[in-house]
Amino acid sequence: MIYYILLPFATILLVVLQITLADIFFSGWLILELTLIAVIYAGFRLDLVKGITLACVMGFVFDCLSGAPPGLFTLFYLLIFLLVFFVSLRIASEKLYIIAFVGMICSLLESLALVLLYAFVFQLELSGDVLLVSVLQALLTSILSVGVFYAMSRTEGLRYGKTIQASQRTWTGGVSPKT
Amino acid sequence: MFLKNYRTVILVGAVVAVALILLSYNLRYDTGTSVLKNTVMEAAAPVQKMLNTSVSGVENAWRRYIHLVGLEEDNRKLKRKIAALQEELILYKEGNLEAQRLKKLLSLQDTYPHRFIAARVIGRELSIISKTFWIDKGKTHGLKPGMPVLVSPSLIGRLTDVSWHSSKVLLLIDENSNVDVLIQRTRVQGIARGAGSRGCVVRYVSKTQDVREGDVVVTSGLSNIFPKGLLVGKVSYVNPTDAGLFSKIHVAPFADLASIEEVMVLAAEQQERDQGKVKEE
Repeated sequence: MIYYILLPFATILLVVLQITLADIFFSGWLILELTLIAVIYAGFRLDLVKGITLACVMGFVFDCLSGAPPGLFTLFYLLIFLLVFFVSLRIASEKLYIIAFVGMICSLLESLALVLLYAFVFQLELSGDVLLVSVLQALLTSILSVGVFYAMSRTEGLRYGKTIQASQRTWTGGVSPKT
Repeated sequence: MFLKNYRTVILVGAVVAVALILLSYNLRYDTGTSVLKNTVMEAAAPVQKMLNTSVSGVENAWRRYIHLVGLEEDNRKLKRKIAALQEELILYKEGNLEAQRLKKLLSLQDTYPHRFIAARVIGRELSIISKTFWIDKGKTHGLKPGMPVLVSPSLIGRLTDVSWHSSKVLLLIDENSNVDVLIQRTRVQGIARGAGSRGCVVRYVSKTQDVREGDVVVTSGLSNIFPKGLLVGKVSYVNPTDAGLFSKIHVAPFADLASIEEVMVLAAEQQERDQGKVKEE
């Protein structure tokens, strides 16, 4: 229960931190997608209900604070979470290169969805820099994902003695009896 | 049974559908700021403020540090520059003072119709028994013993020992110095003898003579050593009631003998100078 109570506050803190850091390091040119990484992490480590809640809350808060149309990032994060969640059920182990790859793909997908939405729904002509920014953004997210997953694995190792591998999880997040 | 088997799929489908509906609704009707959005923004504002304050603090501290590093370097450079400028200033001041002194010395040539030789003081002996200077000119420059030595505006002594490139000046205040003088106002004659720190004492002036403090004393020209009319000093003390036949008269030299750096030696009378020029021609 405590998870659901703290989640909105933690999300607000994370989104504000993300916006502030992006402003400091890249002057808003690139974004340190901490929320996206959190969603990917949730896809690998949390159960479905908790993960969906996290994705929805994070997406909604990001929508509210970034000025995007309400529901946009909620939908994106939800879809990304579901994608990662189903991928995580089918991979044997969480190698860091897999995390990096998933992070990059998710970031690219997010950028692609945004570009398509702005191009077709809002009829906006995006500049040629979008591709470059998207690629750099994906690389950055990939590197950050690796860092965050490594740090979280160490933390879990210290706390529980071992990490919760994706292959050990079931739909509801419990550990499979086969393992 | 159906619901139980497919509850996950239903949950996922329902959530995605809600998100899609929310997005579509907002895109279509542009609802603006809702209560929920306002709540999120209100909640985020303090966090944003706190983070910005922290970031600004770090940023300011960093900038200040960078500024201080630059400042230290600037400070070092400025200190070096100040030292160099001070040296330059001292040189200029020194030059300026020297120029003023020399100008003052040269003004003697306008005051007196004589030929002067400028010389620099290279040593001094102001002991109890002797009050003398050494100057950097000698026989090779045309100096001879007995020549009067002046510093604007007055006489300060005469040459006693002259070698090839240096000479000794016996100051007026030396106990061995005697100069024939007269009181400019009353033309009363006497002999000014050196008296050390008291300046000079004028001897052989009768008590009946009119001498007052402040009277100017000049050379009388009687001894053929000093030309007539060179300034010597000013009467600083007169005591006619002193025992004996003569008044006790103290004279303070015009020149400050303790701070002399350049002097003019009176080498010849104007006539001689003119004759010299004719010979040269």
